[in-house]
Amino acid sequence: MRIWKLAAAAAALTLSLAACGSGGGAAPPPPAGGGTGPTSFAGQTITVWRLGDPAAVNEKYMTDLNAKFKEQTGADVKVEWIAWPDAQAKWTAAITAGSGPDVTEIGNDQVAAWVGQGALADITDMVGSAPELKQIPENLWGYETIENKVYAVPWGGGTRAVLYRKDWFQELNIQVPKTWDELVTAAKTIIAAKGSDVDGFAFNGGADSNMSLSPFVWGAGGDFAVNNGGKWTGKLTEPGFKEGFQFYTDLVAKHGVSRRSALTQNAEEISTRFQNNLVGMYVTGAWDLDGIKERSNGKIGDAQIGFFSIPNKDGNGVAPAFQGGNDIAVWGDSQKKEVAQAYVQLAAGKEFGTRYAKDNGLLPNYPDALAAYASDPVNAAFAQTFSVAKGFPADPQWAEANETKAVLQNAERAVIEGKKTVDQALADANAELETILNSQ
Amino acid sequence: MAQKTTVVRAGAPRPGPDDIPPPARRAGRGLSPKAIPYALIVPGLLVIAVLTFYPLYQVVTMAFQKVGLAQVRPVNPQPAEFVGWDNFQQIFENPLFWSTLRNTVVFAAAAVALTLVLGTLVGILLNQLGKVMSTLVVIGLMLAWGMPRTAVAAVWKWMFDPDAGVVNATLNALPDWLTGTLLGRADWTGYPWFNDVLPIYIVLTAMVVWQSVPFIAVSVLAGLKSVPGDLHEAARLDGAGAWSIFWRITFPLLRPIFTVLLVLSVIWDFKVFDQLYILIRTLNRDAANLSIYAYAEAFSAPPRMGTGAAIAIVLTVILLVITVFYVRQIVKQEELR
Repeated sequence: MRIWKLAAAAAALTLSLAACGSGGGAAPPPPAGGGTGPTSFAGQTITVWRLGDPAAVNEKYMTDLNAKFKEQTGADVKVEWIAWPDAQAKWTAAITAGSGPDVTEIGNDQVAAWVGQGALADITDMVGSAPELKQIPENLWGYETIENKVYAVPWGGGTRAVLYRKDWFQELNIQVPKTWDELVTAAKTIIAAKGSDVDGFAFNGGADSNMSLSPFVWGAGGDFAVNNGGKWTGKLTEPGFKEGFQFYTDLVAKHGVSRRSALTQNAEEISTRFQNNLVGMYVTGAWDLDGIKERSNGKIGDAQIGFFSIPNKDGNGVAPAFQGGNDIAVWGDSQKKEVAQAYVQLAAGKEFGTRYAKDNGLLPNYPDALAAYASDPVNAAFAQTFSVAKGFPADPQWAEANETKAVLQNAERAVIEGKKTVDQALADANAELETILNSQ
Repeated sequence: MAQKTTVVRAGAPRPGPDDIPPPARRAGRGLSPKAIPYALIVPGLLVIAVLTFYPLYQVVTMAFQKVGLAQVRPVNPQPAEFVGWDNFQQIFENPLFWSTLRNTVVFAAAAVALTLVLGTLVGILLNQLGKVMSTLVVIGLMLAWGMPRTAVAAVWKWMFDPDAGVVNATLNALPDWLTGTLLGRADWTGYPWFNDVLPIYIVLTAMVVWQSVPFIAVSVLAGLKSVPGDLHEAARLDGAGAWSIFWRITFPLLRPIFTVLLVLSVIWDFKVFDQLYILIRTLNRDAANLSIYAYAEAFSAPPRMGTGAAIAIVLTVILLVITVFYVRQIVKQEELR
């Protein structure tokens, strides 16, 4: 205990010294004034955690962004790339060790949980005084605003669609599915032609399984849970959810379009198999397209793969998918918060914010840029789905149900292996979901 | 007279065993002879205190607190809230605890039994083998024993891969009637080893036993070497077979060794974590054991280190009870002799 106290005291001392340095000591560079206007941070270096794949297009983006930041403020930037599935563990370690980054990218649905852990800095003042950031529409700040304080800036909006093998569809004369039945038929056709070790439509039962399950339950009119006056009520046993869940588990149990031996594969593992010609279709975000193109060294390109919107059961439009998005935030333990805030302001500003979205296949948060996007052929699938996108229960405990306890993944497995009926599995999962969401 | 004085003079400085020297020693070194042994173990105790007692104390404290990231961070930590037995109550009310406890106990029982039986057999085999062969077998054993557990787990996971694993391929290559009658299944293409609890634990047990047998075998061998050869010879002359020689002579003589090996194996197999973690991570909670459960509670988002610590304590208490039981057995046997 004493060691920790000493460390804490030392850290506090450093913090207060740093505060003195920036507040009173250094006269020549004028105070940042809420972060507007160029300020000199020459000689300082901040660390930025980017999540995902350091594909060439992303590396180029960071190089340009950091060059611009250096030109504006004189500060240097160190970029570290972290895979999305590792992010939670890295943040946990960073907080425990007190050695995190200054700026981090973060999924918008993760913001609430990590603000709850004290991981992110309050940047309300900076956002309020940044004219460009104020152009981002009010409704896009929902995930980022907690008790009227802003903790992150929306960087790019996104949703999920089906990544599919265009070339196989042409070769086997399959049309892009418009109903659930067509989806299954397409998947079966692929397996018949490509072999039984191929997943026609890959079942995702890993940590990000709910991204893949949700379009089907939402498309059937179901939902996970609703909040009434602060208390969560589970909706897993209602007919809409049940129908979507049944279809999702039937992909393996009844139709056999995904291997029974891989019930816990996540989107990353599926993506690797997809690249190796072992998957026909799966649910993922736009970034996978560029990652796969690059990793395949040009063997796979736009002629081979593409996206389509997840269909509704009877073909009446597209199913709602997860309304995701990536944010950029200032790390709570950062000792260079002013520099970090200036960086966030530049990165999420109109020029680099729009380019971030474009490079990652996400949708820009600036209305005029988004309007230009609707006509883009590559992003049409996402723009279409984005208009009906939905979110998971907005509660810090959702991460517990979603990943740690993997409530629905375990229910899916129980049904596929015939240990529980759909009704029983969902009743159990519903009770557990309610307990988790309503616990503190 | 003169003689007497001389005697007295000569006698006065002579070191008497009782009166003079002890005060001189005390004055000179400042430590009573009784304190010296304690002084000598202080450095050792300090090291143990820092490395063992302090973490142990921390875990016990945490088990009665609500501890999250906000409490353990070095920068502006929040004070941890004392919650009494809440953490324990939560665990005992969670069905996950009971299924992980069942997995832990059943696995430990199976793995310990298999390890001891196979280890003993290999030990006896080593004792019978000639020099060249026993060196070869010992080298093989040491390789299995010396390999890092994580590497072993990764390799075994690969071998049992449903699509590309050598195990399914081998089972498929065997004649169908053989695998069909022996294992109740002829077609092993894509057989999923890591979906269900039972197949997962079959793989885990094989892996753990494979790596624990060497230690048992070598220990048993060391014990066998200490058994006087004429005892066996006498028994053989009396017409005893190998089976009864083992149970009537070897086993009673090696009983203390077996007891220690049993306690050690139980402790090791109760605590298995790395191998299982590599096989299934934390996602398949039906197949989790207590260690995985504690890890998931303590470190997955949102981290609840208090609950994790409570599970760790439950595991420790179970092990303590088992160990104390067996240590008492050992002591009793010593008294009987």
